[in-house]
This record gives sequence, C-alpha cells and structure tokens, in this order.
Amino acid sequence: MSAQNIDPATNQTRNKDKPRDVTSSKERHSVSKRLQQELRTLLMSGDPGITAFPDGDNLFSWIATLDGPKDTVYETLRYKLTLEFPSDYPYKPPIVKFTTPCWHPNVDQSGNICLDILKENWTASYDVRTILLSLQSLLGEPNNDSPLNAQAADMWSNQLEYKKVLHEKYKAAKTD
Amino acid sequence: MAASMEVVNGAWDLATKFISPWNTEVHIGCEQNNFESATNILCDNGLLNLLEDWFFEEVQQDLRQRVSPAFWKFFEGLVPQDSVADKSEQNIVCLLQATEYLHKISEEYKPCIQLLESLPREINRNYSMLAFCGVNKISDVVRILFKSVVFTRASREFRDCVGQFYAQAFSVFHCVEHDETVNDDEESTKCSGCKHDKNDCACQHIMQRFNSINAKLDEVGVLEQVSGTSVTALVHEQILQHVENTCQGNFETAYLSSLQNWLENKVLGWLKLVYSLDRTNIGSDCIEGFKGRLIHFLLETYANVQISQLFKIIIEFPESELAIMDLKYCLEKVDMRSHLVTTLKSSLETRLLHPGVNTSDILTAYISAIRALRALDPAGVILELVCDPVRKYLRSREDTVRCIVSNLIDDASNELLEELVKSQPLIDETTHNEEEDGDWKKWMPDPVDADPATASKSRRASDIISMLVNIYGSKELFVNEYRTLLADRILTNFNYEIEKEIRYLELLKLRFGESQMHFCEVMLKDVADSKRINTRISEERIQKGEERTVDVNAMILSAQFWPTFREEKITLPEHMQKLLEEYTKRYETQKGNRTLDWKSHLGLVNIDVELKDRILNFNVTPVHAAIIMQFQEQERWTVEELSTVLQVPATALRRKIAYWQSQGLLKEEQTDTFLLVEEHKGRSHDSIVAEDEEAESAMASSHAKTGEELQVFWTYIVGMLSNLESLPLERIHGVLRMFAMEGVSGEITIDEVKHFLDNKVKDQSLIYSGGVYRLPKSS
Repeated sequence: MSAQNIDPATNQTRNKDKPRDVTSSKERHSVSKRLQQELRTLLMSGDPGITAFPDGDNLFSWIATLDGPKDTVYETLRYKLTLEFPSDYPYKPPIVKFTTPCWHPNVDQSGNICLDILKENWTASYDVRTILLSLQSLLGEPNNDSPLNAQAADMWSNQLEYKKVLHEKYKAAKTD
Repeated sequence: MAASMEVVNGAWDLATKFISPWNTEVHIGCEQNNFESATNILCDNGLLNLLEDWFFEEVQQDLRQRVSPAFWKFFEGLVPQDSVADKSEQNIVCLLQATEYLHKISEEYKPCIQLLESLPREINRNYSMLAFCGVNKISDVVRILFKSVVFTRASREFRDCVGQFYAQAFSVFHCVEHDETVNDDEESTKCSGCKHDKNDCACQHIMQRFNSINAKLDEVGVLEQVSGTSVTALVHEQILQHVENTCQGNFETAYLSSLQNWLENKVLGWLKLVYSLDRTNIGSDCIEGFKGRLIHFLLETYANVQISQLFKIIIEFPESELAIMDLKYCLEKVDMRSHLVTTLKSSLETRLLHPGVNTSDILTAYISAIRALRALDPAGVILELVCDPVRKYLRSREDTVRCIVSNLIDDASNELLEELVKSQPLIDETTHNEEEDGDWKKWMPDPVDADPATASKSRRASDIISMLVNIYGSKELFVNEYRTLLADRILTNFNYEIEKEIRYLELLKLRFGESQMHFCEVMLKDVADSKRINTRISEERIQKGEERTVDVNAMILSAQFWPTFREEKITLPEHMQKLLEEYTKRYETQKGNRTLDWKSHLGLVNIDVELKDRILNFNVTPVHAAIIMQFQEQERWTVEELSTVLQVPATALRRKIAYWQSQGLLKEEQTDTFLLVEEHKGRSHDSIVAEDEEAESAMASSHAKTGEELQVFWTYIVGMLSNLESLPLERIHGVLRMFAMEGVSGEITIDEVKHFLDNKVKDQSLIYSGGVYRLPKSS
C-alpha cells in the first residue's frame, strides 16, 4: 500500500467520515487491496489486447480496453468498457458494460453483456484479467442460443456479410 | 433689627476666625466660650450651615493657593530618574519634608475641625458637602479635599521620589527579614538592603522613616493616593525579577510552593507594613483582595518564564519533570495555552527544524517533546498542535525512517527499545474504535483548542512508537525500512548468530502484527537454514576425506523475501568460482531440484596475503579479494586490463583499489597503472589515499530506482494511458503514487516521473503535446 503518500491528517479525517461502521470501512480497505493486486497482475501479465485502469482516483470504477481477437471478424477493432466493482467484490461480480457500441449477438444496444460468468456463474476466483480474457474470446465465439441482438445472431453464420455489417457499424459509431 | 444684624455680623466674624487655621494670631486670647456664644447666635439665626460651607470653601482656597504650591515646591528642581544612590537619598529627603509639611497643615486643621464637629448639625441637609461627598464626618471631607486639590497633578519628579522611596524600603525590608547569615557569606562590605557600608548600615533608620512617612500620609489621608501606583508597579516588578532570578535556567526543582511562600511572607508582609498596621483610612480587607491578584500575577509571570524556556525544559525531560508539573498547575490557573503553543512552535522551528540539525537529534527532541507534553497535557492536544510542524518536517527528511528504525534497535540508546519492550499492540489509526470508556466518571472534555476532527482517544492513548510510526501514517514503509536494515546487517557482518535479531523481531511482531513482519521472519530463517546447510556440507566433505584449503560458507537467501540488491557484476577468479560451483553441486545433491544463484559481489573473504617480507590477513569483500588475487600472476596491472578481466567498470575498480593502496599493498606507479608493493622497506605507505570505503549498503538505495521498479512504473503508465487516453504529468504522478507504490521503496518525486517520461518521449514510446502525455497511435 502506498499509504505513506497520504497525509496522516487527511487520513484521519477520512476515517472520521465513517466512524460508526468501522467494519465496513475495513472491508472496503481489503477490497481496495484486492483491486490493487488485480491491477498489478493485469498490467504485469501483459496479455495482448486487454488492458484496464482505474478511472481517476476511484479504485472501484475502471475503464478497460479490449482488442478484437486475431483471426476473427473483430480483429483490428478496439472496444472500451467500464467495470463497476460492488463494495462486496469479489463475492459479487463487477458490472461490465461496453461504452463503444458493440454489434455482437450477446451485447445489447446500451452495451449490456450477457455472459454467464458475469451473472450466475460468477465465483470469487475470477478477476479482472480473466473477465477481460473471457470477453475477448466471447467476441470470437458468441453464444447464439441466448442472443441479446437477434440480428447479429442470425447473421453470424455468414461471416463475410457479418464482417461487412460489423465494420460499417463500428465506423459509424466512431464517426458519431 | 440693625442691632441684631451687627450682633450676627460680630458673631460670624468671631466664629470664622476660630475656624481659620491659617489665621494663627486669632487663637491667642480667645476663649472657648466666646466661640460657643458666637455660634449660638448664628444658630439662632439659622446661619450655622453657612459656617460649615464657608469652612470648606476656605479650606479649598487655602489648599489651592498656599498648601499645594508649597508642597510641590519640594519636588521642583530634582533630577528625575537618577540612579545614583545619594541622589535618590536626596529625593527621599524631599519626600520626607513634603510629607511632614502636609502633615503639619493637616494638624493645623484639626482643632478647627474639632470645633466644627462639636456644633449641633441639621440632620437632613440635602445640599451640604457632607452629603455631596457621601461621608459622615467633616474630617473625611477635609481628607477628600486634600486628595482632590493637592494631588490633582503629579509631577514626574514626585513619582520618581515615591518610587525610589518604596523601592528602598522594600529592599531594606527584605534584607532585614532575610537570615543574616546569607549576607555574611558574601564577602561584601555593603549592606544588601540600604547599599551603605555595613558599619553604618542605615536599615533601621530607613525602616523607621518608612513607617513614619506611611503613618503621616495615612493620617493626612493620602497614603493610597501617594503610594498606590508606585507600590503596585514596584511589587509587580519585584515579582518579575524574583521569578526570573529564581527559575531561569534551572528546571529540576519545583518552585511553585517556594514562590508562593515568598509572595506570602515577603511581598504581602511588606504590603501589610504599608497598609494595614493600624491604618485609619484603609480597610484591612484590601490586602486580601490584592493578594488574589498578586498570586495570579505570580503564576502568570512564572508561566511566562517557563514557557520562554520550554524548549530547554523539554530537551531536559524527564529531569525537568518538576518544572513541567509546575507549568501544568499554572496553566490550570491562567489562560496561556495559546501563548504556549505559539511560542513553543516557533522555538521548535528555529531551534530544530532546519538543515543544520541531524535527523537523529530531531527525533530525540521529538521523543522528549512527546513525553514532556504528554505529562503537561494528558489529553495530548498541545502535543498535537505543537508537533505538527515537526512531523511535517520529519516527513520531508529522507533518512527519518532509517533513523527511527536504527534507534529502535540500537543498544546504545535505550529509550526506544524500552518503549518497544513495553509493547502494547500498535494503535493503528484506521482501526480506532470509539467505544465507551470504562471509567466514565473520570471523563474530561477535550480542551477548547482541540481539533474536533481527531478522536480524543487516539490522541490520548497513542504511545511514542506509534507516534513515530504515524509520522508517515503507515506501518508498511516502516516495516520495509526495517527489512532493509536487517538485510544490511546480516549481509555486512555475515554473522550467523541471530538470537538478538530474533528477539527484536519478536518485539516488533507484538507491535506490528505477525503478517507485517513475515518477510523478516523468513529472512532470519534463511540465516539459520544457511548455517545448518553449511555444517552439513562441510561434514560431508570431511566424511569423504576431501582436503580443502578454502572453507566456503554460504548465506542462502530466499530471493522473494529479501529486498532488492544493488547489482554489481564481477567475474571472480577461476579459483574462487570453482569453489562456489562445487558448493552449488553439493547443495543441489542435498536439496533435490534447487540450485544457487550466487551474488558474487556480496560476501566476505578472509585472505592471507604473503609478501616477501610479511604475511597479512584481511577480511574483505570478494571484489577486493579478486583484485589482489590478480596481482599473484603479474605484479603490474593497468585499470583497464583489470576491468576487462574482472568485468568491473573502471570507476568502481578504482574505488576498490584505493583500499589496497591505503593498506600499503598497491601503489600507483603512474596514472592508472598499479604495482604490487612486495617489500615494505620501513616507508610508510601511500597514506594520501584516504579511506573512502564508506560503509556501502548492500541493498538497492531507495532513491536510485532500480530498472525493475521503473519497468513496473512503465507498465502502469502504459496501462493508464491506453485506457484514459491522455494525461498531464501531475495526474500521472498522482496515479503512480496511488496505485503503483506496492513493494516500491521510498517515494517517487514528480521530477523523477518527468525525467522518466521525457526519456520515453525521446524513445518515441510516448507523445507529449499540449501539456499531456499519450501513447502513439500505432500501439
């Protein structure tokens, strides 16, 4: 922890804000620790095409960048996402959304994602890195059985057509 | 009616003559009866009241025109503020004469007043002087007239005279009251009271004169008028002087009670002499009222003196505990807290917080300040207010943590070690709990100047070590520094005896918790393990009957748990390298799938250097040994040659060679060429070369960031820029400090970051434009 960089005085006042629920602030502290650790792991792992960083001073809200996986129609496309961590993370999954519009069978128009590990199949052993890796592979391998975007799901079988539409949509979103 | 008019006029003339003290010839031959019959006539005509009014009018006239000028004349032409003793004596004589004159006048008035008072008086007169002055007796009115007419003005000379008079009397009084022995001890021929030769000491005389003047002034009714301001000023000054003389520079005694005694006996005794011995016109209770104020003044003065030397008192703590206790009592009585805080703060700043003071000295002062101020103010508010700048300053010093840690485990300075042994668990500010105190009956509210944002309990409870640790607000930094120091100690001594270290560690664990000290524990375990492995390997060697000329012992460290080492490359001589390889092999056979990675620049080599005329024994680092071993093969080397053989940069090499030069084994024949000195020839060796082998730390300095650390920073920078697009320098610095400091020793400054980023811009790994940094598009 880099607490030596924080003035003890401000530290105290911050503690003063929540004098009543010491336990919850303690929990929050341990969540921060975990998120710091995850940030480190993610950055150090150097996996290609995925990266994320806390947005501003708030460790509970991150911005992630995702490159489309190679040898798929999403290659060369780059997507931004937001990750919002609940205060009981990692016991609850973070809320992940695309901010760059993403035309994909499992992503709706407002960027919500349908992915089992972000919902019912979440376990505390997942972390930011595994989430981003899963999302990256989801781009190349959509689950067409439960689509949020039926048009994309229907078109998936025709990869050439799909790619054309996808890139048109991506460009349109970029120029907007 | 005319006749009666005449009679009345005659009676008036007669009566007024009787009551005219300045008309001395009238008294001769006049009978008391005449006056009575005259007043009877006046009384019958209802003129008695007029007689009284006339008298007061005349007295006023008399005082104004005759007495007052005559009185003030005594003081004219006196030299004001003269410090020479005989002049002041002259002044006092003037005062004496003036007093006597005034007394004489007052005596002259007395018979007339008596006559007037014997007259019957109309009870309910509304417009008389008596009613006007609010008194019952004619003599009281006369006194008031004396005060108001004569003393409407007060010349400077007069005030000086009075001041000198009382000052002399005060010192004489003191001298008389003092034990005679004190004066005899001093080989002085002067009497300390009257400043005369002892042989004709005038003390008695002065005291008599003093009493008589006071008595006369009192009789006239102007004692308070004359003496009031002078006496008050004098007493204040005396208190001030006395307190300063007694307490300045000595902090190991409690003065409060002796000071109060002094006030009681000396000052109040003297005041009683002035005011309350059978004085007719001054109430005895006035002294009591004055006493309260004087005690307050005494405490205030004392507190002031102590506050002005509080810095010294703090440094002397705990020897100065009595002084602190006195001050504590004073603070309860007088309102000087804020004065104390500002004074002490500024004296700390001027005495302590500047580059000329060693960090360890500042720490020592800080520690005694914590102790002393805690004794002074158990609530800890003064401490918090005063020491805030100290804490801030210490935070800005680089070696603070190191100083604290080394202080903590230094045998020589036991202070902190004792604190450590007391070892309550560390009060972490973040986990502070605001539960109810058990002894609520003793609860005291925080003083008014307390910062409401801080919990009062944390202020009260935190001990010295936690205060020191909290300078930085984090245990981690502290523990990291301890780890570095520990590693340093182990690797510079190569001592396998770690019992003492284990003891410290246990103490620190109690304080900082098991998890914090886990790394250090592993380090010490490494040392113990190394010792065991060394024994086993050498035993094995003996069993196999191998004969070894050189004994190799290893310190096997678990790299994960040790701080990063300063990297230095060196190729050891083949002989040494072989020994190490052999050791590695044995270790591998013992430990299965593990191997050793030698840090060949760290270590301790015990060598005998055999020269033509002597054999010398040295304990040196491997680098030193490697250098001197090269001279076995050829006796002349240039720095460059050595540098290629040993793979050590020439500058580093030169430093190491300097050691051998200072030992007289090598000599610089010409620039960059060194020669082995085989024979000593009785000549003293090149002592010009100073021993510049500063105790080098084996650990990576916390400020020269290692490449590895910078790499970590770079990863973070890439991470943040690829997600947050572009950021200014301050933001990058802030984010780095917030997220990337894990496991990094020391702080990173904004300049370091800027330097680093600028280098990256040069490499074209970054783009800098419009005040923000961003990544190039391609990546």
